[in-house]
Amino acid sequence: MNKQSPAYIIFFILALSTFFGLAISIVNYSTVDLLKKNEEMHRNRVIAQVFSLSVSGTSADAYREAVTGQIDELTITWNGRQFPYLKNRENDDTGIFFRGTGFWDAITGIMVLSPDLQTIKNIKFLDQKETPGLGARIEEEAFTDSFMGLQIDWQNQPDKRIIIGPSPDPNAVNRVDAITGATQTSIALMDMLNRDLDIFRRAYKGEE
Amino acid sequence: MADTPSQILIKDVWNENPVFRQVLGICSALAVTNLLTNTLFMCLGVIFTLIMSNLTISILRNYIPKRIRMIVQVMIIASYVMMVDIVIKAVSPDIHRFIGPYVGLIITNCIIMGRAEAFASQNRPMLAVVDGLASGIGYSLILIAIALVREPLGFGTIMGYTLPAKELWWHQWTIMVMPPGAFFMLGIITWFARNRLERSEEGVK
Repeated sequence: MNKQSPAYIIFFILALSTFFGLAISIVNYSTVDLLKKNEEMHRNRVIAQVFSLSVSGTSADAYREAVTGQIDELTITWNGRQFPYLKNRENDDTGIFFRGTGFWDAITGIMVLSPDLQTIKNIKFLDQKETPGLGARIEEEAFTDSFMGLQIDWQNQPDKRIIIGPSPDPNAVNRVDAITGATQTSIALMDMLNRDLDIFRRAYKGEE
Repeated sequence: MADTPSQILIKDVWNENPVFRQVLGICSALAVTNLLTNTLFMCLGVIFTLIMSNLTISILRNYIPKRIRMIVQVMIIASYVMMVDIVIKAVSPDIHRFIGPYVGLIITNCIIMGRAEAFASQNRPMLAVVDGLASGIGYSLILIAIALVREPLGFGTIMGYTLPAKELWWHQWTIMVMPPGAFFMLGIITWFARNRLERSEEGVK
């Protein structure tokens, strides 16, 4: 058969596409359960860490048990939108999901607040793709721990209720240090936290 | 006369190293070498893709229509890269969170396309596999060498383990974490390797 003929070329491409399409599908299909399990384990691990839950082990089952045993996953419907959030059955702490665009890509995470929404108890990240060693340091405990006990200044303008970085009052109770060399990530994080806090509080209290 | 497997190995790893000699695969050399673990996963992905794409293209070399050979090569390479991406995501999701975007870019790694076009499409499968393996090792050695300098200097760790100096007196070099650090290291390694290579070539003459 003439290898340069259109019929041969079409046949060849079709055969190759079918073969590799099948191969990728098989690899994908055989890892679907694992991917799902990994995703669920990661989510449960972050929830357990952010609520400081006691977990008996480091397996996916241990994290699932800890979360389902101690945390309620709830949803508020407000202005036609749904806001999922988490509630610790033991002490009523509230976990809210935040999401926004960082320096490179989306940043998602969970912030735990006291029942009166006045104090940040903890913060952890579900996903981020910031620069390793710089923006990605938002995941380090040295940074996330600095949020523990932070007071939210609800009287301040919505974008300054939490301050990450410089402020006229360096000792303000609603301020944490930014990450050196990751100014853009710090600003993006401050913006998304303030925005999602504002929306959640209004939804939670049913305000207009 | 065609090269023997051992000649191919020496040529691809040292004499015609894809990174410092042919200046290929530079993007990933800059992007993933600030952490050794990420580098190792990237290298394994590239080696696997190189071997498999070389093998497939070599087997099909007498059947691939010349007019569409580039499209076919890209399709084969992209398929293997997708498989690598899925497997890393399943086996090590934490690593995939960091290097995921770069794994997709293996498709555009010039080394893979270069070896497919220059070698695999003209040689027997066994030699093509050796060529893929050797090119992958040549690429990996340089990336690992860069990562072995960048991670300790930039993070004070090696494969995530904190080095004693970090706790005592070491102050991390931010530039080693950023791409410019990779540029400096790549320049130094290229200078060193070419210098050695030229000396050995002069010695042969």
